[in-house]
Amino acid sequence: MRKKEERRGASQWAVAWRRFRRNKSALIGTAMVAFFILVGVLSPYIAPYPPRSYAPLYEGVAGQPPSFQHPFGVESSGIDVFSEVIHGTRNDLYVGLAAAILTMIIGIAVGAIGGYFKGLVSDVILGVTQVFFVIPALLLILLFARIFLQLVFKGLGLTLIVLILSFFGWSGTAFIVRGETLRVREMDFVQAARSLGADSVRLLFRHIVPNILSPVIVITTLIIAGFILTEVVVSFLGFGDANTTTWGLLLNEGFSYIRTDWWVALFPGLAVVFSVLGFNLMGDGLSDALNPRLRE
Amino acid sequence: MTKLLEVTDLRTYFFTEAGVVKAVDGISVSVEEGKTIGIVGESGSGKSVTAQSVLRIVPRPGKIVDGTIRFDGEDLLAKSEAEMRKMRGNKMAVVFQDPTTSLNPVYTVRKQLTDILLLHKGLTKDQAGKTALGLLEKVGIPEPESRLNAYPHELSGGMKQRIAIARALSCEPKLLFADEPTTNLDVTIQAQVLDLLKQLQKEYGMTMVMITHDMGIVADMTERVTVLYAGKVMEESDTTTLFTQPAHPYTEALLKAVPSVAQTRSLEVIPGNIPNLIEPPTGCVFHPRCRYAKDICMRQDPQWEKVSAGHYVACHRWRELKLEGRS
Amino acid sequence: MIPVFLGVAMLTFFVGNAAGSPLDLIRIFLRNPSPAVIEALRHYYHLDQPVWLRFLYWLWDLLHFNLGISTSGRAVTDQIGAWALTTLELQVISLLLAVVIGIPVGVYSALHQYSKSDYAITTFAIFGYSMPTFWLGIMLIIVFSFELGWLPSSGAAGITYNWGGNVVLDWLAHLALPVTVLTYVTLATIVRLVRANMLEVLRQDFILAARASGLSERAVTYRYALRNAITPVVTVVGLSFGAALGGAPATETVFSWPGLGFAFARAAGVLDIPLVQGITIVITIMVLLANLITDLAYAVLDPRVRIE
Repeated sequence: MRKKEERRGASQWAVAWRRFRRNKSALIGTAMVAFFILVGVLSPYIAPYPPRSYAPLYEGVAGQPPSFQHPFGVESSGIDVFSEVIHGTRNDLYVGLAAAILTMIIGIAVGAIGGYFKGLVSDVILGVTQVFFVIPALLLILLFARIFLQLVFKGLGLTLIVLILSFFGWSGTAFIVRGETLRVREMDFVQAARSLGADSVRLLFRHIVPNILSPVIVITTLIIAGFILTEVVVSFLGFGDANTTTWGLLLNEGFSYIRTDWWVALFPGLAVVFSVLGFNLMGDGLSDALNPRLRE
Repeated sequence: MTKLLEVTDLRTYFFTEAGVVKAVDGISVSVEEGKTIGIVGESGSGKSVTAQSVLRIVPRPGKIVDGTIRFDGEDLLAKSEAEMRKMRGNKMAVVFQDPTTSLNPVYTVRKQLTDILLLHKGLTKDQAGKTALGLLEKVGIPEPESRLNAYPHELSGGMKQRIAIARALSCEPKLLFADEPTTNLDVTIQAQVLDLLKQLQKEYGMTMVMITHDMGIVADMTERVTVLYAGKVMEESDTTTLFTQPAHPYTEALLKAVPSVAQTRSLEVIPGNIPNLIEPPTGCVFHPRCRYAKDICMRQDPQWEKVSAGHYVACHRWRELKLEGRS
Repeated sequence: MIPVFLGVAMLTFFVGNAAGSPLDLIRIFLRNPSPAVIEALRHYYHLDQPVWLRFLYWLWDLLHFNLGISTSGRAVTDQIGAWALTTLELQVISLLLAVVIGIPVGVYSALHQYSKSDYAITTFAIFGYSMPTFWLGIMLIIVFSFELGWLPSSGAAGITYNWGGNVVLDWLAHLALPVTVLTYVTLATIVRLVRANMLEVLRQDFILAARASGLSERAVTYRYALRNAITPVVTVVGLSFGAALGGAPATETVFSWPGLGFAFARAAGVLDIPLVQGITIVITIMVLLANLITDLAYAVLDPRVRIE
């Protein structure tokens, strides 16, 4: 007599996943991100030339605008832009993802500890976070990069950039995590767990952290976008690793050729825009999915 | 006695991404001037949306798609937006459930009250301020002068609700909708606020519509009751008869769910959940949760039938069932 | 705020120090300085003292508005003033434009949610904060300066682009492209934020109550909805102004805009530490002031955060 109720997963994550799937722009964003990741992973196989190769110079096509053989054109120095953009994809994604992960780890640790404990520990952590938050991050990143890049081995340049970016980037995340921890800390289920004998560490990691995951996931996605943009600025200004192809480096070269070879600045820039756009759309979609605000 | 408000076969639907939500699906309700009626139902039954429809402030994506609404002899659905605006807060008003969210957090009490007075009554700022003071006194707020300059977040729940009532009554409306006015308040404050409403109604000669899910409030304040479920009317009657001789299984269940000192049996819960208003159940909309449901209840919409003078019900089986009321 | 400033000062000093003794760097600039000069400089920089003492000397100088001598030989304070004003000129104008345009557009977008114009606006906005500001600058330069020859591509005032000798027009012409770029990016954030907050606030009961009281749509939208939605926007605008100040290097470099950012990029490149430190401190102070103003504005707008 009654309609059979469908059995559907009703967990918070299942609901969020369904909402995400229905969000067109979120799906487009995820597709874009997947595309770039694919390009990045396959870069050594799909790029026509090796990284930083001047081969086209010897083929006599240096300085040519986009053509069928060289879809993004060739720099006056002989570097094929299409090839370099592909190589850059791998490197920029690496920086973005690695820096985001490292930042999240530091940010969560600092934010959760600072938000959970009371008293001097919390105050000191808050102060340190504030200092790092107020610092003009880009300026010090540039300075650090300039000083330390000459000290590292070839090949570790990008990793150093990742470390520097995280070193100056964790404070925003730490603030948000701190806020969330403060909010969750006062909730009844935490009091209940404490009354059942849970100690601080257990409370923190098994009860509080899982409940602040939603905003954390959203932030992670969005800061990947931010770090890619920052890396691009750093390399553009010439403070990045000059031996590793990144989109920023290409833009730096493009800027020198601004009057003659407009294609060198255009295409790497488009790559940045679309990859960052992808992460932003994905992040927005996650935010909507995890924080429903529909009317009943 | 003339009917101040007459709603006939109202249908208000919400056109959402997930589907069309039939929040109000054929509701008819009326009130005589000077009386108090109750509209009872669970959340999602359409009680608030009915009030919003009368004032025509149904939020997007909702729209009134059918029905007539007559107020004081005039057809409200035929009026222009500008004409409706003149009536809102002036001839008809609403007191909302949660005073914490129904008052604007960034303006003082004085500003929120005088805004309306200036709008409808054309008073000067000074006159409006004095009137606002008088209103605060009338709703029983101690030290009204200092409260006038306070912000909502500085006041207790009970006081905020009194101010919300003052705001609703500031232009002496003919019709007042009280949408769960005490649900968010402490139990001790609830009685005070209800008494205040009763007193003010007598004083102003207002017509009041009490929207609630609490049968206790219905018993205390109303003369006639309309019972709603899933956007439709289940039963309508004067209050005493509804309590002593309910004709609809849903009404019976509501009455059984109210605790009383006298009774010794355990409270009964109405099984099941509120129905999906996008795809409501076929036939009688209450049948999935009705203990008396039979085959016909699933297949056919019940008719609106007269039980006795002033007592109507929408149920296939009301003649056969012997339902339990309370005294 | 003071402890935070001290923290930043410490960080700046010690990092700069790690770059190498100022003496080595000056040696490069002065080619072959005599031992006497070296000795004088050594004394000036207190290089015979322990590190932490040097920090205190540096801080003392700082508080007396002495930011040291750049490796180019000129006092840092000489040039910083002019640079700071130039950067502020660009940033403040862009911010004002972004706010004046962004808020109404955001409100419009919220009121017409799901309409075609809403989608267009949202897409426009999301591209805005997905692109590197300076890259947009490069693109605009290519189109408007080189291809079309309409607007100058560099500097804050012209030599070759003296528009008919009219100083104001010349100033505007030079401002046009950088301001467009900065405004667009800031606008994108503001529109998005205002839209999101308006949508949130419009769902609240007091909006329904305001309508139920007969207030006009205009009053409801601006005095009730926007008035409540704007407070978080103020915070974000304040914070992003601070961030923009610190992020100026790339945009200023593209336009050769003679501000703090451009100067920093050049200084850091040659490891002109005193200049680097000086600019960092100045920008930090500006950021702190911006935050302070934001906090005050927030308290004015939202009575709930005021201290009783």
